[in-house]
Amino acid sequence: MMKVTQIGGFLGCGKTSAMLKLSRAVAEDGKRKVALVVNEIGEIPVDGKIIEESGMQVKDIGGGCICCDVAVQFGKVLVMLYRNFKPDHILVEPTGVAIPHQVKTAAKMGMRDAKVTVGQAIVLFDATRPAELLDMDMLGRLVVNQVKDADILAISKVDAVDDAARQEIAKRLREYNERAEIVYLSSFTGEGIDRLKEIILSGPE
Amino acid sequence: MLVESPLMEMGCYTDFGVSGYCIFAKLRRKELIGDAYIKKMAEEMMLSIAGNCRELGARAIGHIKCHVHTAAGTIKADTIGTSQGAYSEGRLDHPVQDLSMSVNSAVSGIPEEAVKAATLEAMYQVAYRHGFSVLTEREQTYFDAFDAESTAADRLFEMEQGFDGDEFEEDF
Repeated sequence: MMKVTQIGGFLGCGKTSAMLKLSRAVAEDGKRKVALVVNEIGEIPVDGKIIEESGMQVKDIGGGCICCDVAVQFGKVLVMLYRNFKPDHILVEPTGVAIPHQVKTAAKMGMRDAKVTVGQAIVLFDATRPAELLDMDMLGRLVVNQVKDADILAISKVDAVDDAARQEIAKRLREYNERAEIVYLSSFTGEGIDRLKEIILSGPE
Repeated sequence: MLVESPLMEMGCYTDFGVSGYCIFAKLRRKELIGDAYIKKMAEEMMLSIAGNCRELGARAIGHIKCHVHTAAGTIKADTIGTSQGAYSEGRLDHPVQDLSMSVNSAVSGIPEEAVKAATLEAMYQVAYRHGFSVLTEREQTYFDAFDAESTAADRLFEMEQGFDGDEFEEDF
């Protein structure tokens, strides 16, 4: 059985850095097979190249968003990975404008031709710019939708803010999502990585 | 708290969306240059692009990021806005003259052609200032907007239709 877990969140929130840390943590020196799927809107990859250097099995999907434009291609990529690489875990980095439940729906399409389970949607929220992300009209609506959809809210870049700011951001996110577990995450210091690893390794959603 | 409306449940960013521009270019200079200098230049470039986008009216910087590939190693740099500063990492084993650079700028509030103009102006200016010539190999503008007309059921139907085909990529 191959478990698919998305690491979502708006542009610039640190998804790529988190993916790199988490993939190493989950793989645990070869104990588990991990593959990565990176989705970028543009056709010239940047994140994909960065992640390729990790030495992990990586598939880059460009030219649209896997939650809508290239959802079918995403489903097929999951089946291909299952057939050819048979990973225990696939970590997915959607574009910064993807909606988590739609990514889950697309991932579930892979269940038709592969033994796939879909893990909890981990959504990152950038601790360094809460007002910029939440208080703007249309952009705020997108980010709020992502926050509402999260199973796990990872407040990222917490090394760059103080404790009071952490608490304030958590309080604001709770207004939109009462059920999600909140994890404080720093890909720089490693804070929160172990907890997210536990979540990824735990049972299906 | 934002007022609830049906639009809030529609998925991707529907109104202005995210405008973007990505470019793959070759940079070359006469003298050899080390990783510290390239990191400084890449950070300067990222901040200059972000500043240009703001000047053109961008309401938020999604990200400005780049990946620099050389024969001696790779470097990446990014920013989410001028006030947040830029960040870079990576190292080169030895100084180089030739770089391959991929840049991706994604912002909201201005059209993709404006993002392209902001990116190219900053990229060329900063590169020239550091003695590099720039040769564009590939570029693309994009706008990521959600289809607000289709429902979740429509999307599922489209996915199922698309998934019925038995064609798979064979590039693994």
